[in-house]
Amino acid sequence: MPASKTPLYEASTQFKNWRYSSQSLAKVRASLNAAAVAVIRNTFEVDEPGSSSALSFLTPDEEILLVRLYVSKIPQLCGFFRFPEEVEATAVSYLKRFYLKNTVMDWHPKNVIVLQSRLTALFLATKTTNNPISLEAYTNNIPKTDPSDVLDLEFLVAQSLGFEFAVWHAHRALWGIWLDLQTVPTAPRDRATTQSEIYDAALRHVRASRLSDAELIYTPSQIALAALSMASAQLATEWAESKFPSGSLSLSTLQSTLGSIKTLIEAASHPVDVERVRGVDLRLKLCKNPEKVVGSKAYLAKKAEEDRKAEEKRNRKVIEVEKAMAEGDPFGDELAGRLVDYDDDDDD
Amino acid sequence: MDAVEKANTERQKRWVKDQKVGEGTYAVVYRGREASTNRKVAIKKIKVGQFKDGLDMSAIREVKYLRELKHQNVIELLDVFSSKTNLNLVLEFLDSDLEMIIKDRALVFLPADIKSWMAMTFRGLEFCHRNWILHRDLKPNNLLIASDGQLKIADFGLARDFADPGYKMTCQVITRWYRPPELLFGCRYYSTAVDIWSVGCIFAELMLRTPYLAGESDMDQLKTIFRALGTPTETEWPGHTKLPDYVPIGQFPKQPLRDLFTAASADTLNLLSQCLIYEPRKRITAKDGLNHAYFFALPYPSHPSKLPKCAAQLTAALPLEEIDGNTLTGKTNRLKRKLSSPDDTKTRSTVARRLDFSKPTPGS
Repeated sequence: MPASKTPLYEASTQFKNWRYSSQSLAKVRASLNAAAVAVIRNTFEVDEPGSSSALSFLTPDEEILLVRLYVSKIPQLCGFFRFPEEVEATAVSYLKRFYLKNTVMDWHPKNVIVLQSRLTALFLATKTTNNPISLEAYTNNIPKTDPSDVLDLEFLVAQSLGFEFAVWHAHRALWGIWLDLQTVPTAPRDRATTQSEIYDAALRHVRASRLSDAELIYTPSQIALAALSMASAQLATEWAESKFPSGSLSLSTLQSTLGSIKTLIEAASHPVDVERVRGVDLRLKLCKNPEKVVGSKAYLAKKAEEDRKAEEKRNRKVIEVEKAMAEGDPFGDELAGRLVDYDDDDDD
Repeated sequence: MDAVEKANTERQKRWVKDQKVGEGTYAVVYRGREASTNRKVAIKKIKVGQFKDGLDMSAIREVKYLRELKHQNVIELLDVFSSKTNLNLVLEFLDSDLEMIIKDRALVFLPADIKSWMAMTFRGLEFCHRNWILHRDLKPNNLLIASDGQLKIADFGLARDFADPGYKMTCQVITRWYRPPELLFGCRYYSTAVDIWSVGCIFAELMLRTPYLAGESDMDQLKTIFRALGTPTETEWPGHTKLPDYVPIGQFPKQPLRDLFTAASADTLNLLSQCLIYEPRKRITAKDGLNHAYFFALPYPSHPSKLPKCAAQLTAALPLEEIDGNTLTGKTNRLKRKLSSPDDTKTRSTVARRLDFSKPTPGS
């Protein structure tokens, strides 16, 4: 197949780096969880030997439950700011991707660090979707939030995303399918107006899908078509048959894919079990990574170590510069170059 | 340390900063290399700490789009990492830009050379537009030239995506001399045609060896355009008098392009005129530009490796020992890569506009 025939979507970072099977997704989460547990257990032991045995760490499933809860809070916040749907959808994707690289045991959203990852993901999404808002206006409207709460995590969130900011969304795919449906030969002329409630219903299913893992497993257009078929199986078939010959193999494969997505969306439509979340949350408070809890022994130890390293580096720089001064011609080119580099102290 | 931070540190170690080659208001550019292969790279260090809103928009745009775009004629973003309060973009190293080449009076351009640069510009731009991305700052010093002669579109700090019609966008984009009339009239709904206008201006500049439409203010820019191409009529450009910032500029007659571009072929002038059509919807698209007869007519485009190179590029192409042996002088200042800012154009000479264009360009 010539290169130009490759669908644009398949050249995207989303297609290349953020697509999983449900098995690989489970594996990623399990190993992330295991690594986090090992680190935290060790930190507790260093802090106070024997202290980790009393803890019951979160399981990967329990982490998912919490992430789902955090994700479900984003639409509320977006509604308050009247952000466009793209901002909301992007923030949700960022948060999900963030928690494929970080664990809730480090970054718990109900503490001082609380909302941080969520607020930062949303703030970053306003910028990456070209809907910027000043940080001041943003934090002024969120109780008990300082600009630094948002900015402190910005690098970590951006790094976790691999600096891959572009996200392809199912609601855009749905809009595309909806436009297509108005031009298929069998379409009634007034479909855009008379059948718009089908589009609205499909959009609600797309929004529900954001609470699920669907976007990490399926393409935006697959999710959109599944959402449409939940709203109107007949319209979904009409569209699919305009793209694939009826009875073809791809059509039947598509049907089974749509079935799996529907299951995900339906499961995501049930409200989060509040009692269960409360229980998980309580245990999380006990097993939070102590290095991140301000004032704990482990936190202070880590901070002292960082301060010591920074001091060491400053001293080394001073020695280097003095050495350069002593060795080189103070008016020579080389020295000038090194002095400029002195300015740039982040190389090592 | 978190796994994510560790991964960032690992990435940071892959690259070595060697020498500062340029500094702008928001970034410092270093020449550097990949530690394991010694491959030359450019590292653009963006100082984030100074922005009260965190990562700034131009850095975000640049990273967002370059992460997605991989094409021979678009600069390649090799890596991104953060260090303290800085964001570092690792870009492929490119010796010079089209502005340097145009200004290098020692170089003679053949029509085939111009065709080659235009083909590469159109190819890169067609790829951006196919990916629903508007560049919004095309100008000769954002078209960088690799040591093998390949042209690469760079600086996506003003880029944005576009999809639905009727979505408002800012008209404060594109460096003035390359800005199309619809933006100068304050149009908030526009398309890929804005980039094509810039390409037309660059095309003309390659032939003239001086900026084609060099206005001294936004108002003067419109006057300069109309003086060169005639004041548009309502038939030529329906609805332009209704644009938000429309003001009557005065009546100027249409000057045949032939009068200025005396040595250009009919195909050349046809493509140029199609890039500079007033009505944005009639302006040629990048895709149609690539299929234009100009690119299929003789002389064929020069092979990139055969294109004229400016002195800095020749220096960079020499083996390292020779440079270290100081057989060449004044190398460092020529390697300096200019950071683009809308104001840097002011310093360019306005005297150049008084050159006599009636003579054919050398070699054409």
